[in-house]
Amino acid sequence: MEAASATAPTVAPSGGEKAAAALRNFLSGYGLIVVLVALPVAFGISDLTQGHSLARLAGNLKDGISNGAIWALIALGYTLVYGIIELINFAHGDVFMLGSFTAAGFYGTLGLTAGTGTAGLAGGLLVVLVLSMLVCGGLNTMIERVAYRPLRGAPKLAPLITAVGFSFILQNVGLLWHGGAQLGVPDLINSQKQLVDVAGVSITHGDVLAIVLTVPLLIALGAFVSRSRLGKAMRATAQDPEAARLMGINVDTTISATFMLGGLLAGAAGLIYALYQTTIWFFQGFTAGLIAFTAAVMGGIGNLQGAVLGGLIIGCVQQIADNRIGGGAWTPAVVFFYLIMIMVFRPQGLLGEQTREAG
Amino acid sequence: MRVRWLAFSSFVIALALGVSACGSSSSSSSGGGGGKKVTIYSSLPLQGATRPNSVDVNKGEALALKQAGNKGGSCTVTFKKLDDSTAQAGQWDAGATSTNARKAAQDKSAVAYLGEFNSGASAISIPITNDAGLQQISPANTALELTKNPGPAGKGAPGKYYPTGKRTYARTVPADHIQGAALADWMKELGVKKLFITNDKQVYGSGVAKTTSDAAKLRGIQVLGNEGIDPKAPNYRSLAQKIKSSGADAFFFGGIVDNNAVQLYKDVGKALPNGKLFGDDGVAISTFAKPLPKDVAARTYLTVATIDPKDYPPEGQKFFKDFASSYSGKQPEPYAIYGYEAMSLALDAMKRAGGKCNDKAAVSAQVYKTKGKKSVLGTYSIDKDGDTTINDFGRYLVKGGALKFQKSVKVAKDSNGKPLGAVGG
Repeated sequence: MEAASATAPTVAPSGGEKAAAALRNFLSGYGLIVVLVALPVAFGISDLTQGHSLARLAGNLKDGISNGAIWALIALGYTLVYGIIELINFAHGDVFMLGSFTAAGFYGTLGLTAGTGTAGLAGGLLVVLVLSMLVCGGLNTMIERVAYRPLRGAPKLAPLITAVGFSFILQNVGLLWHGGAQLGVPDLINSQKQLVDVAGVSITHGDVLAIVLTVPLLIALGAFVSRSRLGKAMRATAQDPEAARLMGINVDTTISATFMLGGLLAGAAGLIYALYQTTIWFFQGFTAGLIAFTAAVMGGIGNLQGAVLGGLIIGCVQQIADNRIGGGAWTPAVVFFYLIMIMVFRPQGLLGEQTREAG
Repeated sequence: MRVRWLAFSSFVIALALGVSACGSSSSSSSGGGGGKKVTIYSSLPLQGATRPNSVDVNKGEALALKQAGNKGGSCTVTFKKLDDSTAQAGQWDAGATSTNARKAAQDKSAVAYLGEFNSGASAISIPITNDAGLQQISPANTALELTKNPGPAGKGAPGKYYPTGKRTYARTVPADHIQGAALADWMKELGVKKLFITNDKQVYGSGVAKTTSDAAKLRGIQVLGNEGIDPKAPNYRSLAQKIKSSGADAFFFGGIVDNNAVQLYKDVGKALPNGKLFGDDGVAISTFAKPLPKDVAARTYLTVATIDPKDYPPEGQKFFKDFASSYSGKQPEPYAIYGYEAMSLALDAMKRAGGKCNDKAAVSAQVYKTKGKKSVLGTYSIDKDGDTTINDFGRYLVKGGALKFQKSVKVAKDSNGKPLGAVGG
C-alpha cells in the first residue's frame, strides 16, 4: 500500500552536489546488491571449493523461503496498518500467537490427529484455517476499535504505547491459556518428512505447506488491494485520509477493514506455524513479531511487496546463519546487521517510498 | 521523520522488554510454637516450563519442615516461598532473583536461603547472600563453577561468587563434573562414536556441555562441536542439518527446558533419524517429555541425580510414601527429594548449632561440618567447597510422554578422569 510521493520545491543543484547524488545513487543500487548477495555468494564459493556442490546452500535457501513465507504473512499485517495509519501495531505478533493457539484448539474440536485420513485432514485444515483467520481478524479489528480509534487525533506516542500494552495483554492471555511451557501439537502433516529430493535438496511436507498456503493468500491480498472497491479506498486513505474522507470514503470503516485483513493473515500464519513447527508457546508472538516487523522495515514499511521480500530475505539469512555461523547464537546479530546495512544504503527500505509523513 | 519514528519505536520495544523483566511473587507458611523465631526462604522459578519441578521441590521442603515439627533445634521456623521467575521471561529472571536474595539478606530472622533451581540464577544470588553471611543451599544447581574451578572458561569462578572470601553456599545434588561423566559413560555403553553438543549459553548449560565434552573425549568419543544456540529461535532445522552433515551419531544439549529445548530435540531428532539424543537434568521434566514426538522420545536418554526409589535407603523410600500420602498420591518430579534434603540439611545445621540456631554464621559453619549425614539420599558429607559427596546418577528414558527411570549408576571418575571419593566420607 504505497503512500503518496511528495514533491518538494527544487533548486538547481551544483556540479559537486550532482556528483554526490550520483555516488549516493550508485551506492544505493550496487552497494545494496553487494550487501544482499555477499553471504550466499561467499558460502556458495566456499561450498564449491570444498565440496563441489551447492546443495547445502540451496538447502539453506529452501529452508529460508519456507520460514520466510510465514514471516511475510505476519509482516504484511505490520505494513498494512503502518501504510494506512502510520502506527506500528506491536500487538500484531501476539495476535498471530493466538492464531496458533486457536488453530491448535480447533484440532481437538474437529478431532484432527496424525492418524486422520488425507481427505478428512484437508477438509479439517481448511475449516481450521478459516476459523483461525476469522478469530484473529475479529480480534485485530476489536483491538483497533477499542484501543486505537479513540486515539486517532492523539499524539503518535499514545497509540504506540497502547499497542505495546495490548501486546502484553495478549501475551498474558496466551500464558494463562497454555502456561509458560512449550506445547507440542499433533504433527498432522508429518512436517519434516521428505516429499521429494531435488538435486540433493530435501523438500519436506512443511516446506510445501508453507508455500502452498502462503502464495494464494499473497495473490488474493494483492488482488484485493489493487482491484476491489475497499482496496482502492484503503490506498486512497493511505495517501491522504482527509481527501479520502472528502471523496466520500468512510475512513474509519476502511481502517477497520485494514486491521481485519492483517488479522486474517496473522490467523493463517498462526495455523501454518503450528503445522510447520509442531510446537507453540506464548512467547512465539514476540519473537515472530520482532522478525516480521524487521522484515517490514527492511522491505520498506508500508509496501506490500517489500514486506514479502523482507520476510523471505530474513528467512534466508536466518537459515544460512543457523547452518554456518556458530550454532545459531549469532543469528539475531547477523539478521540485524543485514537490516542496518540495508538501511544505510536505502533508508526507506528495499522497495519503500516516501510517505505523507516524510513529505 | 519516518526513520526517526522507527528508531523511537525500536527504543520503545527495548524499554518494554526491560519492564517485562521485573516483578516477582511470594507466599509463605509458618510454623507455630514459641522460643526463637527464624525464617528459611525458598527461591525457585514458579512460572515457565520448570514450574512442576519447582512446585514439588517446595512441597518436599515443606514436608521436611513439617516432619521436623517446624523446628530447627530450639528455633521455630517460618518458611517463605519466593518466585525467581517472571511470566514474561517464562523462566528464572535476573531481576526477580536478585530481589529475592536481597529480601532474604535484609531479613534479620533469616538463617538459610534454599535456592535457586537454576545455576545461572544462583550465580546472581550467591554474591548477595554471601555478602550478608546467609547460608544458601541449592536443591538443584549442578554447575561446577559455583563451587569449584572449572578451568579457564570459568573466568575467576568460583572466587568471584564469594565477595567475603568465605563460603556460604552448599548443594544437595551432585555437580556437573559427575553428571558429565555419567552422560559420557552412557554414551560409551551405547556405542556413540561422534557427538555433537549444543548449549543454551547460560551458566548451567555451557558448564554441563563443557564437562560432558571433556568426559566424552576421555572415553574416546569424538566431539564434533559445542555451540551455543539462540533460545528464542523459531526452529533449529538448519542447525540440525549442520549436525547431520557433521557425521554425528549422537547429540547432546546442555541447557534447560525453558530455552526452547523441545523444538531443538524435535528438529535434531528428525535430522538424525537414527541418532541418539542425550539430555541433562535441565530437560528431565514432564514438560519436556510430554510434547516430544514418539520417534524422537524413543531415542532420548536423560540423566538426573535422582535414582530409582528402590535404590534409596529406607529413609528415601519413606520420603516417596510420605510425599504421595501428603499430596494426593502424586509421584514427585525428580528434584522433590533434593528439596526435602536441602531443608533437612538446614534444619540439621541449626540443631547442631545448639543455642545459636538463630545465628546465621553459626548455622553456616555447621553446614560445612556435615559429615556422614544419614539422609533420604543416602549417607553423605558436605566438602569444604559446599559440594555433596554423593555420586549416584539416574538414567531416564522417555516413554508414553513421561520420564521412565531406567537404571541407577555410581560414577567412579569425574569428567576429568579424577576418581571420586567414597560416599559418606
